[in-house]
Amino acid sequence: MTDETSKFESEMNRGFLQVLVLVLLEKSMYGYMMLKHFERLGYSVEENTLYPLLRRLEKKDFIQSEWDVSQDRPKKFYVISKRGRCARKELLKIWREQNEILNHLLEANKNV
Amino acid sequence: MYKKLEDYLEQINSYLVVKEGREEILSEIRGHILEKTENEFGEITEDSLGKIIVHYGRPKKVAEQYLEGYQIISPTFKKYLFLYTGILFAIHFCLTMITFLFGSSSIMVIPFLYIPKMGFIELLSYLPMAFIHDFGLVCFFLYFITQSKKDIKLPWPRLKVSTPRIPEKKRVQPKIIYLILMLIGFCLVVSAYIRFHTLFFVSLDLKSPESLLNPEASKWYSLFLITIIACEIIGYSFRFFTQSEWVPLVINAFYLVLVWIIFNNPIENAYVGIQGTDLDFVNSLVKVIAGLVLVVFTVSAAIDFLKSLLSLVRKAVTK
Repeated sequence: MTDETSKFESEMNRGFLQVLVLVLLEKSMYGYMMLKHFERLGYSVEENTLYPLLRRLEKKDFIQSEWDVSQDRPKKFYVISKRGRCARKELLKIWREQNEILNHLLEANKNV
Repeated sequence: MYKKLEDYLEQINSYLVVKEGREEILSEIRGHILEKTENEFGEITEDSLGKIIVHYGRPKKVAEQYLEGYQIISPTFKKYLFLYTGILFAIHFCLTMITFLFGSSSIMVIPFLYIPKMGFIELLSYLPMAFIHDFGLVCFFLYFITQSKKDIKLPWPRLKVSTPRIPEKKRVQPKIIYLILMLIGFCLVVSAYIRFHTLFFVSLDLKSPESLLNPEASKWYSLFLITIIACEIIGYSFRFFTQSEWVPLVINAFYLVLVWIIFNNPIENAYVGIQGTDLDFVNSLVKVIAGLVLVVFTVSAAIDFLKSLLSLVRKAVTK
C-alpha cells in the first residue's frame, strides 16, 4: 500500500470506526476487549486511536462508561446510550446510502 | 508499580491538554498496557512492558489524540500574527532608530513600549528582544480574542494578509556591464579624492577647486561617500552569487552604523560655503538640502534593513 493510499485509508477509517464502535457496544465492553474483537474480525485498530475516540463518543453522550473495580486491575466498561442508538441508526442509513451510490457507479463503470 | 510504565504515563500526562478526566485517561492506558503485556508475554516485566509501550506510541503523539479542539490561537487568526507583528515591530524599530540617532532621552508609549536611550551595542541586543516582545504582545492579543469565542473580524481585512507564504522576491538579475560602469565610476571618484582631497566641490574648475567643507570635514565626509559607493558595488557583486537577504541586511546595518558615527562625531564649522557676496540664502539652502539627503539616506537604509530582517525572520519562523 502506498503512502497516499494509507492516508486515504486512515481518513476512511475515522468515520468507519465510529460506526463500528457504536455497533459493537450494544454489549458492554472495555477497550482492550474491543481491540481483540476487532482483531478477530481482521480489522486492525491502534489503541491510541480507539481510547480517544471512546472519550469523544462519551462526551457526546453516545456511549456511557462505568469503572469495574472488582478485580485487581480496574477496567472501564463502555456501552451504547439511547442517544447513541439514535445516532447509530442515522449513521447506518447514511452509510447504506453511500454504499448504494458507490455500487451504482461501479455497475455503471462495468458497461463503459 | 512499574517504573517504565509510570514514567511513560508521566510523560503523557505532561503533554495532555484536557479539562477533566486526566486520571481516568492515564488509568485506562495503564490498564490496557498491563493487560496486553500479560496476554502477549505471559508475565509483566520491565522489558516486556517496554516493548508494549513502544508499540503504544510516543507520549506526545498519544496526548495529541486527546486534544479536544482546544486552541491557544485560532487558526483563522494565525495569518494575522506575522502581519501584526511586522507592523508593530516596524513602528518599534523606527522609534528605536529615532531614539538612537536623534533622541536625547528615552521614549515611552504607555503601556506597551519603553525605549531607553542606548548605545550601539545595547541597540544590537535590544532589537531582537523588541521583536520577541512585539511577537508576544500580538500572541497575547490573539489569545484573548480566541478565548472570547466571539466572531471578531480583525481590522485591515483588505490588506493582502491571506498569503502566509513568503513571496519569493524577484530581484533583477545583475549585469556585468553595470558592474564595470560602477567600478569605473568608483575609480573616478577615488582618483578625484586623491587628487583634490574632497568630493564636495563648489565649482568644477579643476585647477583650483573650491570645497564646500573645511579640510577635516572634506576628508571624513568624502571617505563616508566612498565607503557607501564601495558597499553598493560589493552588494551588487554579491548578487551574482547569491540572492540572500543577509547581504542587504549587513550592508544596511553598516550604513546605519556609519550614520550613527557621523551624527555622534560632529565636526565644528564643517561647512565653509560658497565664497562670494550676498550668498547667505544659497548657503542655507545647500545646508538644508545636505541635511535632507542624509535623513532620506538614513530612513531608506533603515527601511531596507527592516525589510531584510523581517524577510529573514519570517522565513525562519515559517520553516
